[in-house]
This record gives sequence, C-alpha cells and structure tokens, in this order.
Amino acid sequence: MAATTALSPVRSENRLLNALSIVPGILLLAGIGYAAKVLERSVNGYAKAHHRTFPNIEYVLWAILIGLVISNTLSIPKIFQSGIATYEFWLKLGIVLLGARFVLADVLKLGGISLALVVIEITLSLLLMTFLGRLFKLKPKLISLLAIGSAVCGVSAIIAAKGAIDADDEDSSFAIAAILALGALALFTFPAIAHSLHMNDVSYGLWAGLGVDNTAEATAAGALYSDAAGKVAVLAKTARNAMIGFVVLAYAIYWAGQGQAQTVTNKAAFLWKKFPKFILGFLLISLLVSFHMFSKGQVTSLGNLSKWAFLLTFAGVGLRTNFRDMSKQGLRPFIVGALGEVLIACLTLGLVVGANRIWGL
Amino acid sequence: MSTDKPTTTPSNKSASLSLDTWAVIAALVLALAVRFDILKNVSW
Repeated sequence: MAATTALSPVRSENRLLNALSIVPGILLLAGIGYAAKVLERSVNGYAKAHHRTFPNIEYVLWAILIGLVISNTLSIPKIFQSGIATYEFWLKLGIVLLGARFVLADVLKLGGISLALVVIEITLSLLLMTFLGRLFKLKPKLISLLAIGSAVCGVSAIIAAKGAIDADDEDSSFAIAAILALGALALFTFPAIAHSLHMNDVSYGLWAGLGVDNTAEATAAGALYSDAAGKVAVLAKTARNAMIGFVVLAYAIYWAGQGQAQTVTNKAAFLWKKFPKFILGFLLISLLVSFHMFSKGQVTSLGNLSKWAFLLTFAGVGLRTNFRDMSKQGLRPFIVGALGEVLIACLTLGLVVGANRIWGL
Repeated sequence: MSTDKPTTTPSNKSASLSLDTWAVIAALVLALAVRFDILKNVSW
C-alpha cells in the first residue's frame, strides 16, 4: 500500500508527460489538415477567377498527399510520432459524431442492406484469400491474418486476430503492410473507377465500405467521391467492423483445434471483448438525433465537428504511409494481397450493382 | 501483484478497446457541449 502511495506522484508525472508527448504530433495533423483546406479553397478559387479548368481536388486528397510527401521524403522526428498515432482516435471520434447525420431509420435501412452484403463479402473474401494464400504457399497463420484483414477491417482485425491465434510478429507485420499498401492504392483507384462507371453516391459509398479494408482508408475513399458517399462508406464499413468478433472467434477456435492457439472458454465474453465499442457510440448519437434531442443547427455543428475529426485522420493516413518500409516486407504476401483485393473489389462491385438493381439504392 | 498494474507487454487489442471508450466519451462530451450551447455554430 505504502509502495503504491509512493509511486503515485511518479505515475501522475508519467501520465502528464505521456499526455504532453502527443501534442506536437496532433499539431502537425491539424497543420496539415488546415493547409489542405486552404489549398482546396485557393486552387479552386484561382481556377475560377482565371477561368482555368483544374480538376477539383478536395481537402481529403490534399491532406493525404501532403502527409504522403512528408512521410516519404523526410524523416519525421520522433517527437511527432505518438501524436500522429492519435489519428485512430480522431477517426473513431469522427465516426461516433457522424451518427448525428443519420436518423435511425436510415441506419436500419442502409445498415441492413450493408449487413447482408457484408456477410456475403466476408464469406467470399475468406475463401478467396485462403485459396490464394495456399496457392502461393504462404505460412498458414499468415494466410489466416491476410484473410481476416481483407475480409473484416484491416489493421485492427489483424491485431485482434494476432493474439487470438498466437501468430508471430513477423506474420502480422507482413499482413498489416500488405493491407496498408493496398488501402493506399484503393484511395486513388476506387474513386477513378466509380467516376468512369457513373456510380451514384450510395452505391459508391457501399462499395468503398465493403471493398476497402482499413477503416481510415475506407472513410477517405468515400469522402474523396462526395460527402454523401463518405457517410455511406462509413456506415457500410462500420457494419463490417461489427463482425470482427465472429470472424476472429471462428479462427481462434480453428487454431485451438489444431493445438496452435489457446482454447476460448467464454465465447460471449470473447465476442464482447472484440466488439468495436465506438459503434455503440455511433448508434447512441444517431438515436438521440432521431428523438429530436438536438436542433437542426446543433446537428449541423455535430456533423461539422465530425468533419474536423476526419480531417486529422486523413492527414494521419498520409503520414503513416511509408512506401519504403512497406517494400521491405517482401513481395509474396503483397502479391497475394493485391490479387485478392482486386478480385474482392470486383466481387463487391458486382454485389453493389446487384443490390442497386434489387433495392434501387 | 496488484490488479491495476499494467502487464509487462500491454496488448494492442486492449489499447484499441480503451481508444474506443475514449472516443465515445469525447464524442458525448462534445455532443453535450453542443446540446447546451457551450459550443455553438461550429463552422466548416
């Protein structure tokens, strides 16, 4: 007890130092985000004033591009690293606040369609990645990680699965690098393909939410197309994230059966532990808005706060994408990931087109 | 061994759980601030 009391001031000092250590990185994210907004306004304003035709580059792309240029040309000082890592916090904060822009009826309708498509997408992705992994003779646990990462939700799913199936660090680094590299490519390819196919906002949003693996990249890919598409992409991706526990549990049971992972004793507790809790926050905010707890102006304010949070996320997406580091991870997992992702993108595009015909999205 | 002592190798999954909780708490605080007009007319 005495030892605990004596340690307290040291612990609080450490906590304060930890809290302060994130400030430089957050300021960097905010600076890049603000520069992206200024660039969007200036470039579009210049083009309009001088009657020039420039492609309309939105703040989302500017923020990602500035981040990419910095992380791939300069060495980011250590002082910024922990603050840059907060981009995931801003992402989740943005998603919870985005709940204000959905009334519950929308969530149920679009979320229901998304869930139905998600179940099909997850089944197809798991089968496809497992087949490709075996074809390219990857290690069995790396195949599991790649399959989970591409079927559910990218990096968080891989991290959740790593502990559950006792995968080693090298395998999870391979899988994470492949998922991140492919997510970065999706940012540029998904909107271009959708524009060429003249997809509407809802269809494209669903496709981005189903086809892009990591939540931050799926959010950015949606927002790159349009604000409305961004909303739908987040909803579809959130429905996909909700399935993380079930998929990881299935793999944990499989590997425990092989004697290569710990047995899951309490399945309900396991599912609850893996469930992304921010989804509950998103639903709560949506519920409050549906019961008219906020005025119209207040809903707009919450929506705008969500956009500010996403702005920091997009800057973080660019900053943590380092192509040199990714290339060090080896080619085979990347080839399997790339092949799988291209096929999954085609399959999910087919699913969305089919859903559009059936439900008229 | 006290129960509040962090493990020697804190897992990423527990970190992501607490991140979720913090994100929800922060969002609810912001929502309350907007609801009671402490934060007004947030522009974009």
